[in-house]
Amino acid sequence: MDFQLSDDQLAIQDAVAKFFQEEWNSDIRRDALDDGPVKISDEIWQQIVEMGWIGIAVSEEHGGSGLELLTAAMLAEEGGQVLFPSKLCTAFTTAFALDQCQSGDTAALLTDHMTGQQFVSLAVDEANGTFGPENNATAATLAGDGGTISGEKILVPDAECADCFLVAVRLNDSGALVKVAADAPGLTITAMQRIDGQSISSLQLADVPFSSDDILGGTDDADQVLLRTYEFWTTLISADLLGVTTKALEMTNEYAKVRQQFNKPIGSFQAVSHRLADVKVAEEVGRSLLYGACLALQENPDQCFPQVSAAKAWLSDAAAEATEAALQLHGGIGYTWELDVHLLLRQARSHAVYLGDAAYHRKRIGNFITG
Amino acid sequence: MDLKFSEQDEAYRKKLLDWLASSGELISRTMQGTDDSGERNPMQAMRDWQKHLYEAGYVGMSWPKIYGGYEASLTEQVIANEELARAKIPPSLNTVGLTIVAPTMIQHGSEEQKQKYLKRILRAEDIWCQGFSEPGAGSDLASLKTNAVLDGDNFVVNGQKVWTSAGHIADMCVLLVRTNRDAPKREGITYLLADMKSEGITIRPLRNAGGGSHFNEVFFDDVKIPKENMVGELHGGWAIARSTLDNERSGLSGVVALEANFKRLLQLTESASIGGEPAIEDAHTRDQLAQYWIEIEGLKYLGYRTLSEQLKGQKPGSQASVGKLFASKLRQAMAKNALEIVGPYAALTKKSPHVMDRGRWVAGYFDSLGYGIGGGTSEIMHNVIAERVLELPRSVED
Ligand SMILES: Cc1cc2nc3c(=O)[nH]c(=O)nc-3n(C[C@H](O)[C@H](O)[C@H](O)COP(=O)(O)OP(=O)(O)OC[C@H]3O[C@@H](n4cnc5c(N)ncnc54)[C@H](O)[C@@H]3O)c2cc1C
Repeated sequence: MDFQLSDDQLAIQDAVAKFFQEEWNSDIRRDALDDGPVKISDEIWQQIVEMGWIGIAVSEEHGGSGLELLTAAMLAEEGGQVLFPSKLCTAFTTAFALDQCQSGDTAALLTDHMTGQQFVSLAVDEANGTFGPENNATAATLAGDGGTISGEKILVPDAECADCFLVAVRLNDSGALVKVAADAPGLTITAMQRIDGQSISSLQLADVPFSSDDILGGTDDADQVLLRTYEFWTTLISADLLGVTTKALEMTNEYAKVRQQFNKPIGSFQAVSHRLADVKVAEEVGRSLLYGACLALQENPDQCFPQVSAAKAWLSDAAAEATEAALQLHGGIGYTWELDVHLLLRQARSHAVYLGDAAYHRKRIGNFITG
Repeated sequence: MDLKFSEQDEAYRKKLLDWLASSGELISRTMQGTDDSGERNPMQAMRDWQKHLYEAGYVGMSWPKIYGGYEASLTEQVIANEELARAKIPPSLNTVGLTIVAPTMIQHGSEEQKQKYLKRILRAEDIWCQGFSEPGAGSDLASLKTNAVLDGDNFVVNGQKVWTSAGHIADMCVLLVRTNRDAPKREGITYLLADMKSEGITIRPLRNAGGGSHFNEVFFDDVKIPKENMVGELHGGWAIARSTLDNERSGLSGVVALEANFKRLLQLTESASIGGEPAIEDAHTRDQLAQYWIEIEGLKYLGYRTLSEQLKGQKPGSQASVGKLFASKLRQAMAKNALEIVGPYAALTKKSPHVMDRGRWVAGYFDSLGYGIGGGTSEIMHNVIAERVLELPRSVED
């Protein structure tokens, strides 16, 4: 066991940071607030595909690089730092789900997804007051080798660029993932825009037809695949939040060294420096919890939820704390449209309530520790 | 990063659990504070326990073998940390020696000093205390005044230390003295090892706010300390003191104690009630318990990260203040929360009828407040993080 990034991982991290630096900038996010939703250009996405990012944590057996799940989380964190859209997290998540499914046309779909032939998104949550696949009502009925799905899905990411969705449904008293094409008859997509310029959609499914080949992982462990996928997704969003935290701290830290008032850098005032020290603590604890979640996912995927929830609960709060401190400690300039602080804050606030807010995740942990 | 436990690791875990199971008798004897002949002697019982723990391989795990350590892998340390936290084992008698003195000595001590003292620390044969703070030098430790003059083969020490934890039971003391009054304050300090039985040392116990007598005033009146008891160079003690402080502020040991505290708090919520309901069913209480669990988990993984760095030869640096600040806040939050859960009887003295758990919760509360002061206050931890980790300009000019 070694609880530090390896040299290989550091090299990947560097390369990823460099790529983002060259290809992405936060103005794209700012503009998207007026003209959104934010879009990643086809050229950039093509490069990402060609660098093999999407399959980075997919098993070699299925054509991926077979690296640890942590590597994907690291990329998500780098993305968070530069405000790269969370489409990357979506791509990792569906790749993860498909990697574990055995039946249906999974292998072909996964290959398409990793090579950029198709973009696969996923639809899990429902408007039932909670998060995750456990209380799903959307049902699929199967007769012979075909059937239909009816129900409603919410909080679906990147629907506007998806070719198809993995829809979590109830099928014969078990969970299952069914592939539904974006242009399937009976499917209505309602797009919404989050305050961070990213889109989120709901899917209305009214007798949407599917064939038995579209049932992915319709094996005994489909429920497990679904749960694990949701935990992995949550971990990636936590990593993105860590990136936001780190970036907000870094910006403010630099500013506190150069901005002078009363003939001194503002960072020499303890009211300023102690608040930044608190953010630093929150970031370090958050990074540690993220590694803990990756460890649990890797080693104990069917019982990883307490660690995953710990990371998400903590980082949801930490990113808010870091970005609010950034806004406050930059003073007037921090409150402008022009500075990136509000972009980070918007992403922090959007992700904080995504895939379960801090209170929800603490509730899960409460149930775990009290047995 | 390698996040796996191998089969070998699991075998190591099994061995530890078997050993714990077979140590039950000594554990309960230590908890009761009786020696092997059944007489009441808590000190001896705790020394016996530490020796037993050491001989089994669970003390000095990270130390070099030549000094009696085990050079255990990170995984082994992680496993031992987890399992010892889970088991109810007696607290350590010699934390200052093990976590503060020894790492400093391994790093900066002479070969002779290492041979002479390290094994005795492991077996709890010497109990150590830390003579740093003085009445006029606390947060601004470098302004310390206790004076030492080199006279032939001995330093002659005069002055006073204060808040010296365990000074009254200690055999040895790491002592900071001023050896050059004309130099800038950080350049005239020397680091010494003092025998607490030396002639001229007077120890006066001080009662702490919680009522306990754990710390002391220590007076030095022409105390002779042999020259070979100097660590590092003459006037070169400040850098060594800094590394002692970093060691004091790092380490996994805090997590083990916090996990034990958490377990007790959880049990309390099962037995106490809030508004006629078991506290454990109360939504607010559950939310707070979850938060503590998250924070302990975070502290644990933070510790693993630090340990990974140390195993690669990096020293625990200012980063250690992150853990120290966080752990003391967490300890305080849990302790305050416990008082709320105990309810109106939380304000009873430990001998009152109806007091809960013999006053443990009040004692724990006072203890927790001390953690925000000892080893550097929380304000100073904020300064250290700001100035040395975030590299912000200093808040105080000196
Ligand atoms: C339980 C306990 C055990 C201890 N054990 C030992 C021991 O074994 N050996 C030993 O040598 N010492 C020990 N100490 C002493 C401890 O290290 C000092 O008390 C501590 O460093 C603070 O110093 P002080 O008491 O002089 O307070 P001061 O330094 O006078 O501080 C008073 C207040 O001012 C604040 N303050 C001071 N300077 C600054 C600054 N620059 N910026 C912001 N705020 C500031 C402090 O945070 C504090 O709140 C122990 C203390 C306690 C409570």
